[in-house]
Amino acid sequence: MADFGGWEMPIEYAGVLAEHAAVRERVGLFDVSHMGKVDVRGAGALAHLNALLTNDLGRIVDGQAQYSLMCDVDGGVIDDLIVYRWSDSDFMIIPNASNASDVVRQLRSNIPSAVEVVDNHDQRGIIAVQGPRSSDLLTRLNLPVDHEYMTVVASRYRDYDVAVCRSGYTGERGFEIVAPVEVIPELWDDLLKYGEDLGVLPAGLGARDTLRTEMGYPLHGHELSRDISPVQARLGWAVGWDKPDFVGREALSVERSVGPRRVLRAVKAVDRAIPRAHMSVQAVDGRDIGQVTSGTFSPTLKVGIGLALLDPTISAGDRVFIDVRGRLGEFEVVATPFVPAHTR
Amino acid sequence: MVPEDLKYSTEHEWVRVEGEIASFGITHFAQESLGDIVFVSLPKVGTSLSAGDVCGEVESTKSVSDIYSPVSGVVLRVNTDLDSAPETVNSDPYNAGWMVEVSVANGVSGLLSAAEYSQFLDGGV
Repeated sequence: MADFGGWEMPIEYAGVLAEHAAVRERVGLFDVSHMGKVDVRGAGALAHLNALLTNDLGRIVDGQAQYSLMCDVDGGVIDDLIVYRWSDSDFMIIPNASNASDVVRQLRSNIPSAVEVVDNHDQRGIIAVQGPRSSDLLTRLNLPVDHEYMTVVASRYRDYDVAVCRSGYTGERGFEIVAPVEVIPELWDDLLKYGEDLGVLPAGLGARDTLRTEMGYPLHGHELSRDISPVQARLGWAVGWDKPDFVGREALSVERSVGPRRVLRAVKAVDRAIPRAHMSVQAVDGRDIGQVTSGTFSPTLKVGIGLALLDPTISAGDRVFIDVRGRLGEFEVVATPFVPAHTR
Repeated sequence: MVPEDLKYSTEHEWVRVEGEIASFGITHFAQESLGDIVFVSLPKVGTSLSAGDVCGEVESTKSVSDIYSPVSGVVLRVNTDLDSAPETVNSDPYNAGWMVEVSVANGVSGLLSAAEYSQFLDGGV
């Protein structure tokens, strides 16, 4: 167990490799109840959110979900989050645990009188069910599974209202079930029980990190922060550049037109080195070109992989060197994901 | 999980002494603390080691740890099977997961017995 933003979280149960394989090949369960859960409701909720978040909620219809960012005026990222649109006056937002209170505070600033922000952080839990057999498992619990990737369906479980989201942080087909905390222990136990013959395993933060790194998904605090903009993190696709206005728009537009001073790239080991966060990266000619933001051993590829903020002249196909505890490991700059995604 | 016939270091290495040859690896406790081991790097054959020297690294999905030589001597063999199957250290730390074999003409010293190491693990030393 480890302290994670004030939450006591399991790093691993059976072991990172076994849990990682369960998610890639069968199905794994993550208790991600530490994540924030915020409802934003009322007439004008859509416009209020569209002014605070970078992505354009006009791009999605009711029942769809969208990855978005909350930036400060300088274009720094307060948090990255998923917005679920029930209607134009009813949204559910899932921010990161450690940023949830900042997100709520921002959502409540300059709020129109008809809009309310309800912080359900301690009232709801989330179980992520991820992997190719996740649909089979949810079907056994009479939960809906036929909706598309990045959509959400309201359902009932043991007489409680739950939201079944077709989303996740692993790159596999999967669901995130948002439910009242009262029913979370039973939901967890039921998923383990009914998934036993499917080979279900509970999975911890360790596997969550290896799985998301193989996808090249950013983690706030590593690939995104107040100092790392979405332009640098190559998340321009999550910015509604054509929206009339949103917090951070001016700074981000300038950075986009001038060009970022550093860019997030993916690196894969040529030899046996494993990159870790904060290790420095050198070009072939020895010049310092940046830093690793996340790194791990890829259980699927069986080599070291990482994400790094690098000089913008570096691009896919280039060779770079990473200082791994005094020894230079050779890496290739590659495109993400490192392994094919099967989210759909 | 502390075999009686081995000696131990406080850095959680085990040592098997057979005449003038000692082999060593990491203990059950060490492999369990590290979690899934994904890389093992070992010294070159012919390297002269002094007890306490860092002579390699064990990297798991979670972290990386140095391997300290528990004995002084010259490296005779290293377990190259660990290159392709580092998880052997997790599954069989005291046998197939051995790491280094060293010529110890001057014997070994400063090591713990199985009972002493067990006591050390319990925080009793």
